[in-house]
Amino acid sequence: MGRIEFRDIYKSFGANTVLRGVDLQVDAGSVHYIIGQSGAGKSVLVKHLIGLERPDQGRVFVDGEDVTRLSERELYPLRKRCAMVFQHATLFDSMSLLDNVALPIRKHQKVDEERARELAARELERVDMEEYADRYPADFGDGMRKKVAIARALTLDPEFVIFDEPTTGLDPPSADMVDELIRDLSDDLGVTSIVISHDLRSTFRVADRIAMLYKGELRLKGTPETFRQTDDPVVRQFIEGSPDGPMEEPDG
Amino acid sequence: MTRDGPDNEHPPPRGTPGWGQFIGDVGRRALEFGRLVRENVELLGLTLRYMVNGRRRRGRIAEQMYDIGNRSMLFIAVTLGFLGMILIFQAGYQAERITGDLQMLGPLFLQLLFREFGPTITALMVATRGGTGMAAQLGTMVVTEQIDALRMSAAQPVDYLVVPRFLASAVMLPVLTVFGILVSFAAGAVTANLAFNVNYYTFVDIGMIESFDIVIGSVKAIAYGLVIPIVACHAGLSVSGGSAGVGRATTDAVVRCSLSVVFLDFLISGIGYVFMAL
Repeated sequence: MGRIEFRDIYKSFGANTVLRGVDLQVDAGSVHYIIGQSGAGKSVLVKHLIGLERPDQGRVFVDGEDVTRLSERELYPLRKRCAMVFQHATLFDSMSLLDNVALPIRKHQKVDEERARELAARELERVDMEEYADRYPADFGDGMRKKVAIARALTLDPEFVIFDEPTTGLDPPSADMVDELIRDLSDDLGVTSIVISHDLRSTFRVADRIAMLYKGELRLKGTPETFRQTDDPVVRQFIEGSPDGPMEEPDG
Repeated sequence: MTRDGPDNEHPPPRGTPGWGQFIGDVGRRALEFGRLVRENVELLGLTLRYMVNGRRRRGRIAEQMYDIGNRSMLFIAVTLGFLGMILIFQAGYQAERITGDLQMLGPLFLQLLFREFGPTITALMVATRGGTGMAAQLGTMVVTEQIDALRMSAAQPVDYLVVPRFLASAVMLPVLTVFGILVSFAAGAVTANLAFNVNYYTFVDIGMIESFDIVIGSVKAIAYGLVIPIVACHAGLSVSGGSAGVGRATTDAVVRCSLSVVFLDFLISGIGYVFMAL
């Protein structure tokens, strides 16, 4: 359970073509990193998985089922199985951190209030935020908000998790903690993770497989070793972080 | 890079915009306009559907009514108040020069307010203040992925965000119109009294107001109240391209809302006068 396949995905916004025929398979229980420049189409690609974007052409399969043509209502069961940690750590400012994390529990699980708070506190503990449970999101920076967003995403024991830049804005120890969490989800619970990241240190430490998008196309996919050994000049420039090379600015 | 030679002395003629390009541009804009109209109609349909099937969110509707209504009152009072003073001063000045009879100044002004200026100017003010606010709020939610987060939580953005604004605007625009008419008429009465010595009793004469004036004013106010939130929310929900996109959406919202108000004004007035003539 949890195999994902993107088949020949094309997507444009007006005149701006973001994805040009992307094929990608994600094995069940694996940690799949997607890397590439800002604006390369990484977030747009993964949003197709849960119907937040619809492809102009191409199909997305989850466990062999075509999810591309499902209506918004038909997508609800799939979205229950999947959690997404958004790039902007979308917490509700009017609620305490604990209430933010308890929200999906209250909404989807039939448990009493005390149990909901207990479960939420446990999730906050996983990301080292339990001591701030009664504080509000506005009291924290992006990094700490992101940790709470991760805790909230994991409350319903999802089968797949999409992490959109989970370590951006985090200090190195917190980033390591998030990396370990992603790895443990896969190793211990068999969760399939798709991680969009610019953090190459995390990518090479945690990923089972990596895919690189460049100008809306899949430039290279493989294991971390494939990327270390590639002689593709664009990929090399990206992973070495060099300002000089053949890489061009993304369109649009 | 430049190079010398005969090619540079006689460069090929640049493509000048011709009829083909002009027709292409017109066609492109027509298609764009058609798409906008279709999407707005679809959003209206979805909103009506969720009004019937969706959850009742009284708190959110009250919050929006406060935002659209109470917070617009000062803006509308100032705008319509000054408009009333200017119109009465200009009309009184002309009437005094031509006929010298200022007896009809108040009744005619009141009729004009009911039929035209009350609902239309109020709606333009609501479009400017409330419409841009709606587009900016929803646009910001789009770029910060809050709309996606709502959809992931099985909450429908139209049900959750558009329906309360739609209902609040439909209720508050007629209320604000009545308020605007009262303020404008009062300002006009004071101006007429101070500038032309028109007695308040003479000015405040509702004898010329017929049921037609009240019906056409009410239909306009309700129609504007329904259209403004749809057009503004559509502009907000269609944002792409980060914070610059939010800026474009607010501009689009005020332009499209204002044009919709003017178009509806023309349409409803036209239909109204055809009916009246029958």
